[in-house]
Amino acid sequence: MTELSFNLLHTLEPRRDAYGFALRPQHAQRYREYANIYKEEEGERSDKWKDFLEQIAKSSQPCSSEEEYKERLHAEDTECKAETISESKEGDDSRSGKSISDGSEESDPKKEGQLSKETKTHKLQTWAQIRPSLGAIEKMMSFRVQKRKNMIDERETVNGNHLPSIEEAESLGGASDDEKDCVNETSDDNENATRTEPTPVDEVSPKHFFPWKEELESLVRGGVPKDLRGEVWQAFVGVKARRVERYYQDLVAQEANDGGSKVHDDSSGVFKKWRRQIEKDIPRTFPGHPALDADGRNSLRRVLLAYARHNPSVGYCQAMNFFAGLLLLLMPEENAFWTLVGIIDDYFDGYYTEEMIESQVDQLVFEEVMRERFPKLVNHLDYLGVQVAWISGPWFLSIFVNMLPWESVFRVWDVLLFEGTRVMLFQTALALMELYGPALVTTKDAGDAITLLQSLTGSTFDSSQLVLTACMGFLAVTEARLQELRKKHRPAVLVVVEERSKRGRAWKDSKGLASKLYSFKHDPGSLIEEKECTEGGNNPADGDKSPLESHSSNLDELLNSLNVDSEVDSLPDLQEQVVWLKVELCRLLEEKRGAILRAEELETALMEMVKQDNRRQLSARVELLEQEVTELKQVLADKREQETAMLQVLMRVEQEQRVTEDARIIAEQDAAAQRYAVHVLQEKYEKAMASLAETQKKVVIAESMLEATLQYESGQSKALSSPGYMRILSTSRNDNSTRKMGLLSFGLGWRDKNKGKTTKVEESNESKSTNEGIDPKSSGNETKNEEQET
Amino acid sequence: MGCSSSLPDRTSGRLAGPNIENGGAPDPKNLRVKLVLLGDSGVGKSCIVLRFVRGQFDPTSKVTVGASFLSQTIALQDSTTVKFEIWDTAGQERYAALAPLYYRGAAVAVVVYDITSPDSFTKAQYWVKELQKHGSPDIVMALVGNKADLQEKREVPVQDGIDYAEKNGMFFIETSAKTADNINQLFEEIAKRLPRPPSS
Ligand SMILES: Nc1nc2c(ncn2[C@@H]2O[C@H](COP(=O)(O)OP(=O)(O)OP(=O)(O)O)[C@@H](O)[C@H]2O)c(=O)[nH]1
Ligand SMILES: [Mg+2]
Repeated sequence: MTELSFNLLHTLEPRRDAYGFALRPQHAQRYREYANIYKEEEGERSDKWKDFLEQIAKSSQPCSSEEEYKERLHAEDTECKAETISESKEGDDSRSGKSISDGSEESDPKKEGQLSKETKTHKLQTWAQIRPSLGAIEKMMSFRVQKRKNMIDERETVNGNHLPSIEEAESLGGASDDEKDCVNETSDDNENATRTEPTPVDEVSPKHFFPWKEELESLVRGGVPKDLRGEVWQAFVGVKARRVERYYQDLVAQEANDGGSKVHDDSSGVFKKWRRQIEKDIPRTFPGHPALDADGRNSLRRVLLAYARHNPSVGYCQAMNFFAGLLLLLMPEENAFWTLVGIIDDYFDGYYTEEMIESQVDQLVFEEVMRERFPKLVNHLDYLGVQVAWISGPWFLSIFVNMLPWESVFRVWDVLLFEGTRVMLFQTALALMELYGPALVTTKDAGDAITLLQSLTGSTFDSSQLVLTACMGFLAVTEARLQELRKKHRPAVLVVVEERSKRGRAWKDSKGLASKLYSFKHDPGSLIEEKECTEGGNNPADGDKSPLESHSSNLDELLNSLNVDSEVDSLPDLQEQVVWLKVELCRLLEEKRGAILRAEELETALMEMVKQDNRRQLSARVELLEQEVTELKQVLADKREQETAMLQVLMRVEQEQRVTEDARIIAEQDAAAQRYAVHVLQEKYEKAMASLAETQKKVVIAESMLEATLQYESGQSKALSSPGYMRILSTSRNDNSTRKMGLLSFGLGWRDKNKGKTTKVEESNESKSTNEGIDPKSSGNETKNEEQET
Repeated sequence: MGCSSSLPDRTSGRLAGPNIENGGAPDPKNLRVKLVLLGDSGVGKSCIVLRFVRGQFDPTSKVTVGASFLSQTIALQDSTTVKFEIWDTAGQERYAALAPLYYRGAAVAVVVYDITSPDSFTKAQYWVKELQKHGSPDIVMALVGNKADLQEKREVPVQDGIDYAEKNGMFFIETSAKTADNINQLFEEIAKRLPRPPSS
């Protein structure tokens, strides 16, 4: 029913992946792209694993051989036959016809005939040993189960809910009493050595025991080959060490009896609730998967019901349907049961219980780790109003089933089951954030962010990248660190849970009381019916039902059973039934009397309830206040956001200021250069003036000389009297003055030009300095001073 | 308003300029609301959302683990658009412990029951009480009786739903995710009842 049929079906059905799961149409294309990569990877890892298994078989299991396995298998064949389940196929509601039968019962012709009247029995192999080549791995992992068992035996506190690490477990190797397994031969001589070592974590012995452990780890990270996966997982979870012979069959038989004839005990109301939920969920578990046909669904039902019986503190929790379904695809029914037991009881202890405490704790822990690792991303999500737990919650609870593409789910589970802790859960979630964080920070609203992350996660086809990022990128996320954080956050969760259960009880009690009082007064019988319809609607805390509740629940069960039993005529011994009924009837009557007394008590209780109402109002107000606080916190966060925005603006202004400052300095430098130029020119001008003065002096000298000459000449020309000479002299004097004027006007002109320039600089200075807030006049004054200097 | 005419255009329905709740004034023409679906397991919450968002009905829907998210934008007749950010929660009782994570800060809560299951109606009342105590004070609540196509199996009278909703100031409607009956109406009616930010 398992692997074979898939391989067949997936070749026929192109809309499903290699595991037989439906592909979302939007992913079909990408899946096709990756299908070849997967095939290649699969081929590689098959070879690697084969070599590896051969190697460890040689080194550690000289006496175990395939022949022996076959022999054992043969021997078990008869056992397997005994462990088959005769199954009814009469449609959806097969509860009544389902029963477990062992060989002797089956040969009972009366029974057989009875069953086959309306049902077709058929056989399924329900248990199979894993191949011996995996024995060494199984052995290694079994130690940790043993260790865990010891731990639980020693102290009943389950708070340190994790499997001991492999190292720890290995060192306990000697303590394992794994009977007649040939590995014992090799481990025997180590026994004393380990025993003498007091510390649980031993650095030497694991290497000594399992020198290939590291190699195995890297192989696991590379993925477990498909055809080995089911068995390797069982080895990891330590199914062999967990299994108790016939335990599963007994649970199934118990359930079949109870489900059919409704034996009553205090908890049967709870079982009924789980049964109902399981029925609701079975058709919604991998709908359409070829392996989950009628038989597959029956197996799923049995595994889930058996688990609920095995561990009533968990019972049935949505999500387990997917886990059990997934395991059933990889292994026979009983093996799937024990693997599920390992996963839920150990790996996820406290996760799926009624209060779901550990899953809530893990969310707080994850958020803290996220803030540490991706502060920017978390800031952005905060800004959008997205809580990390909205997204990571479903990831953790489903162990990524339905969240990632199947290949990736399997790869993550490979590592998770190998490690024996929930570290991989965190690492995978962090890896997804690492891969998709950059895209997330570009989103503009909460809806877009969540939609984007969901769809990116759903198309994480590159499973190798995901697993490697997870395992290599977050080495600091260790079990020890997580335990520390869990310890830190657990109290907060416990407070809320406590609060909730109180509230739940209050609601339940008040409602139950009111309506019960009412109906009891009108018609004592209706009490039972009333209970019937509130039962499902009531709040969790079934564990701590008030005595009243469980009391009436008993009543209810009794009546129910009476009704049903009277209808069932196929019961083996009617006489016995009648006697039993009579006894029950007496008890019922007695209880009825008790109930009437109770009713009176209830009335007083009701009065008390009214008083309590006050308290509830108070707590409501407290909660309102709390809400206000959270709102204020929100506002605070907003304010902080605004602050950062303001800071950014401020920074930008500052930058601008710096730019202006620079500009001003440049302008000043310019001005200085100009001042220098002016100075030089001034000097030149002065020189020119000086030379002019000299020339003038020369001219004066020349004039005086000329006059002297003239006088001299006039003395002569008195005789000659020639006016033309005079004319020549006066023109030369005019010439001189125009030259003088030219120089002056040049100097003035340059000065004017320069002045124009400085005013321009001043203007630009002014316009910028308004931004800076620097007094524009000061720089203006400087230029004015310059002018004055000029 | 028929179902078909009100079917939102899936591409152009997207908001051009999203308005972030935290910063800036919300755009009165383009609303964004967080909506949460609560109710017993199997009443059809996921089916209602899928019908509304994808227009499909899958009789073998998947069990919801934790919660799942989908968003959908509708256009109203007054040309405002409303983008629903929908959180579909898990129905099993114990998951109620996680529900506050999702209904906190939600503007709308849709409490769903199955008209063929009185248990689920009781459970719906539990949710209404819880929301009244712990939800946002101005939360818009709708009570939805789903699987209305199963008239012959009805066990919760319409009048019970109407009465209870009226008593608690809720909007009431019976729907069928299977036939799509009243699904769009449900969301349109919710959109109409949303408190509008003052248009500036
Ligand atoms: N006839 C009918 N069946 C419906 C309708 N809606 C849902 N269903 C059926 O009810 C089953 C459960 O519906 P879901 O939507 O998965 O229920 P849910 O409320 O999401 O349940 P949880 O995820 O467990 O909380 C589906 O498999 C459908 O077959 C409806 O309108 N009519
Ligand atoms: Mg759902």
